[in-house]
Amino acid sequence: MIEIFKVIFSNFKFLVLSVIIFSSMMVLLLLISEFIFLEPYFVTHIPSGSELGFILIITLSALSALVIPMNLFRITNLKNSKQKMSGSVFGSILGSAAGACSCGPIGFAMISTFGSVGATATTFLTNYEIPIRVVAIAILVITYFTTIKSLKTECKVHF
Amino acid sequence: MNKKGGILGIIVISVIIVIVVSMSSSNNETFDVNMTRTHGSISTALGSPILGDPLAPITIVEFGDYQCHQCYNWFHNTKPMIMRDYIETGKANLVFVDFAFLGKDSSKAAQATYCADDQNMYWEYHNSLYNSQESKIDNGWANSERLKAFAFNLNLDMELFNECLDSEKYSKRVQYNSQQARDNGVRGTPGFFIVGSNYDQQQIGGAQPFSVFQRILDSVI
Repeated sequence: MIEIFKVIFSNFKFLVLSVIIFSSMMVLLLLISEFIFLEPYFVTHIPSGSELGFILIITLSALSALVIPMNLFRITNLKNSKQKMSGSVFGSILGSAAGACSCGPIGFAMISTFGSVGATATTFLTNYEIPIRVVAIAILVITYFTTIKSLKTECKVHF
Repeated sequence: MNKKGGILGIIVISVIIVIVVSMSSSNNETFDVNMTRTHGSISTALGSPILGDPLAPITIVEFGDYQCHQCYNWFHNTKPMIMRDYIETGKANLVFVDFAFLGKDSSKAAQATYCADDQNMYWEYHNSLYNSQESKIDNGWANSERLKAFAFNLNLDMELFNECLDSEKYSKRVQYNSQQARDNGVRGTPGFFIVGSNYDQQQIGGAQPFSVFQRILDSVI
């Protein structure tokens, strides 16, 4: 497993991609979930009772930063199928969408723009924020292990 | 002559009945509020009663939704420190203005607070809602039955409260407050305006920590 990581992340492009995915996703989700504020001052805080949400965001960002570059490596270097790529992207988007609405500006924009449909979607994504994030993490973990497994087989054939 | 007199009498009685009926129905819609009350650019006339010293040099206007979890976070994490350091010391006061947009029970919950206000229990009821909030929107924790149960727990006159809530007496009041939020550029809850005595106002979006409020409030004082 460590050898596979060495092969992928010794390539500077994949390492940079991984850092960009992790940092941008983490900052975006922490902003949306109101763990970070930019105005009127830059401030970070974790309200009591929101610790689980914070841990899930970090886990989701880390897994996305790991799984997406691994699958891109498979596609670009080993000219392999894009099937697992869709799993990792789907997991990342699903996890990001959960909790993006709530009572913040995105939820307000959804309700203002789409009316009752937006309100229903907002309610669903808010009410099931934690379970949806857990499902997204599960999808990413499954994708991670299947990718590792297939990379082991494919690398043996190619190298 | 008698016939004409009879018709005239009927007309006069009818007019009197119409006036009496219209006066009694308009009594249901009158609020014991100061319609000219504003804070900065915000009309808070139909918002909550003022919490703290009405003559305090700073007013914190909070726009909130009773089903919003971030409002719950602010209520429990930041507000107690603002109460202790600014409101109870007379440096600031607070007005809550409804921005009920999240679910169908949001508006009803906001209306219920004004029904409680009819019995001078606005803030007790407000606190009761934020202490009882459940994490899921529209799951029934703020439906009519539960709102009545909260009122019962506060020993409110249930006949008055139920009549007020069921008749949706304060529906337009809540709509007016929500429109105030939109007109002032509030795009989510909780949203705050810190209004100083010289009518300068600063907006804070979201359930920000006490340190942010402290910094702004101290700069205004």
